[in-house]
Amino acid sequence: MSAAVKKVFDDYRVLSDEALQPEKPRVKEFLAAMKKSLQRDNWTFWLPYVLSLEACMKCGTCGEVCPVYQASGRKEIYHPVYRADMLRKIYKRYFTWPGRLFPALVGAEDLTEEKLNALAENVYRCTVCRRCAVACPMAVDNGVIVREARKILDAIGIAPEELKENGTAKQLQAGNAPGINTAAFLDMVEFLEEEIREARGYEVKIPVDKEGAEYLLMHNAGDYLAFAETVMGAAEIMHAAGADWTLNSPQTGINDAVNYGVFYSDAEFARIIKAQVETVKRLGARVLVVGECGHAFEAFKYLILRLIPEKERPFEIKSILELIDQWIKEGRLKLDPQKNPEPVTFHDSCKLGRLGGMYEEPRRILKAACADFREMSPNREMNLCCGGGSGFAIMEKGNFLEFHMETYGKLKAEQLKATGASIVACACSNCKAQFREIIRYHKLPMRYAGVSELVANALVR
Amino acid sequence: MEWWRHFVAAVLPYFSLAFFVAGLLYRVLYWSRAPKHLHWELFPYPHTLGEQLKEMLTEVFTLKSLFLHNRRAWLPSLTMHWGIYLLVVWPFLVLAGLPLAAPAGKAGGVLALAGSLLLLCYRLARSEVRRLSAPVEYLNLLFIFALALSGLQSGFLGDAGAVRSYLLGLARFTPEQPPAGYLAPVLLAELFLIYVPLSRMAHFAAKFFTYHKVKWGELHR
Repeated sequence: MSAAVKKVFDDYRVLSDEALQPEKPRVKEFLAAMKKSLQRDNWTFWLPYVLSLEACMKCGTCGEVCPVYQASGRKEIYHPVYRADMLRKIYKRYFTWPGRLFPALVGAEDLTEEKLNALAENVYRCTVCRRCAVACPMAVDNGVIVREARKILDAIGIAPEELKENGTAKQLQAGNAPGINTAAFLDMVEFLEEEIREARGYEVKIPVDKEGAEYLLMHNAGDYLAFAETVMGAAEIMHAAGADWTLNSPQTGINDAVNYGVFYSDAEFARIIKAQVETVKRLGARVLVVGECGHAFEAFKYLILRLIPEKERPFEIKSILELIDQWIKEGRLKLDPQKNPEPVTFHDSCKLGRLGGMYEEPRRILKAACADFREMSPNREMNLCCGGGSGFAIMEKGNFLEFHMETYGKLKAEQLKATGASIVACACSNCKAQFREIIRYHKLPMRYAGVSELVANALVR
Repeated sequence: MEWWRHFVAAVLPYFSLAFFVAGLLYRVLYWSRAPKHLHWELFPYPHTLGEQLKEMLTEVFTLKSLFLHNRRAWLPSLTMHWGIYLLVVWPFLVLAGLPLAAPAGKAGGVLALAGSLLLLCYRLARSEVRRLSAPVEYLNLLFIFALALSGLQSGFLGDAGAVRSYLLGLARFTPEQPPAGYLAPVLLAELFLIYVPLSRMAHFAAKFFTYHKVKWGELHR
C-alpha cells in the first residue's frame, strides 16, 4: 500500500482515495441513501435485510463459524456482529424510536465521517459467504447487511474500481469485464483449438456466434485469460457429447457470464443480467449453459427469477455441471477414472453450494472422472469460503491479497492439506483465482483444476 | 394505595395482554406485508410441511444451532428457554386445574431463573460476547431473572389454587384481588407482556420469517 493512502479501518484499503474520498463530508448523503434502502421500494432484499437488522440476539454464534474472524485470531473488528453492528447502530440511532430515545441503552450511535470510512472498508472484509447465516439460531444474515451497506455506499458513489469501473461498467461497454474485443476473442478461440489439437491429437471445432444452436455456453470471460484449461475442457466435453453448441463473441452483446452487480449493486446487477438475456435471445439458443462461475450461476438460476418475468427469458438455464452430470447418466459421455489417478478433493463454492444447492452433481461427476475422490472436511453447507468470493479474488490493491491469504486463505490451506489430495477441483473462477494464490502463498504441494478440465481428461473417445 | 392495587390486579392485565397481542400482530403484519424478495435461500433446506415442522420443533426444543455451533451458550440458553416454555404453558395448566400445574410453574421458574443467570454469566464472562452486547442485552436477561425470582419467592408459581381463582376472575371480567404478596409477580408479568413486542424478545415471531420466508425459501431442489 502506498504511503499516501490513509488508514481508515485496519492495515488494508480496498477502496482507493478516489472511490472513498475519505476527507469529503458524506454522512448526510449516506443517511439519505440508507433511508431509501429501508423503504419497501428496495424490494429485492427488503425482508431479509430488515429482519437481520432487527433480530440479532448477540449470542456470538456467527463468530464461531466465520472464517475471517476465526483465522484473524478472533480479532473483534472482523466479528460478523461487529461489522453488521456498524450499520445496525446507525439504523437504531436514526430510524428506530428506542434508538432515538435511549441510544445508550440499545447501542445506537451517531454516524461520523470516520465511522463511515471504517464501515465502507469493513463491508469489504466479508465475502458474503453466508456460512454465518446457516449457523445462526435466528437465521440472521450478516451477508445481506453487508450487501445492503455496499448498495448504500454505491448509491453515494463509493464502490471498488474492480467491481464498478473495471467490472460492471466495462462489461456493459465491451461485452466482457476483461475488455476482450471480438478480434482478440476469435484469436483466442483459435489458439485454444490448436492447444487441444496439440495436447490430445484430435480436432475440436469451437463454434462461435452460431445462431439457433441448442446450447449457448457462456463462461466467465476471465477464464479465457486465466483458466483456459476450463474453457478447453468444456469444449472437449461439448464436442464429445455431440452437442449443438456455441460460444459467443462480444459483437453479439455480452459474452461474459459474470455479474459483479451481485456483489454490490442491484441496479448494476439488473443492467447486466438484462443485457445477458437480450444476448441469449438474439442468438436464439434453447439453453444458456453457465460455465464454471459461482456467482453467475446464482444470478442466472435464482436471482433472475423475480427480476425478469419467465416469458421474457424464453430459454432454459443450466450450469455446465448439471449438463455434464446429465450426459454421464445418459451415457453420452464415457469416462475412464483411471485417467485421473491422483487424489482429488472438491471445494463447494459458496455460490454453488450454500446459495445454489449444487452439492451432488459435482460429486457424481468427479467420482465418475477420478479414481481417488476425497471429501474435504467440513463440506457442503458448512464448507469454508476460500476467500475469493464477492470479487475478492480480483482485488489485490496494495496489500489486500495478503488479507485474503492470511485470513480465509490460511484456513482453506489447512483444510486442503488435511485431505492429502494433490488436486483441488472446483467450479468457480473466483475460487480458482484464490486457490492459485493460496497454493503459491502457503506453498501447498497440489494444484487446482476446473471440473470440466478433469472430465475432459477422463474422456474415452 | 387501593387504586394502585386495583390498577395492577384488575386493569393492567387486560391492557398488557391487549398490548402484547396488538404489538405482536403489528410486527407480524409489518413483516408479512413485505414485498417478495429475490430468491436468497440457503441449501439444503426442508421442503415439505412435515420436514419443516420437524426442523422447526427440533430447533425450538433443542436449540440445535447453538448445540452444533456455539456449545458454550447452548445449555444456559436451553435452560432458560425451557423455563420460559413451561411458564407460558403454566397459566393454561392452572386454568385447566391440572395437578401438574404447580410443579410445572415452579420448574419453569427455577429453569428461567437459572438459565437467565447462566446466560448473564456467559455474556459477562466471554469477553468477545460482552463487547458485542449493548446494555439492553443485560436488561432483557435481568427482566426474565426478576420475573422468575419474584414468581418463585412469593410462592405465586406454586400456588395453583389462588392463581386459578384470580385468572378465572379475570377471564369472567370480574377480577378479584390476588393475595397481596402476588402483586409484584403479577406486575412484572404485565410489564413483560408490554415489553416483549417492543423488544427483540419478539424474536420467536421474527424467526418464522427468517426461516420460512428467507432461509428456506420456496424453491424445490
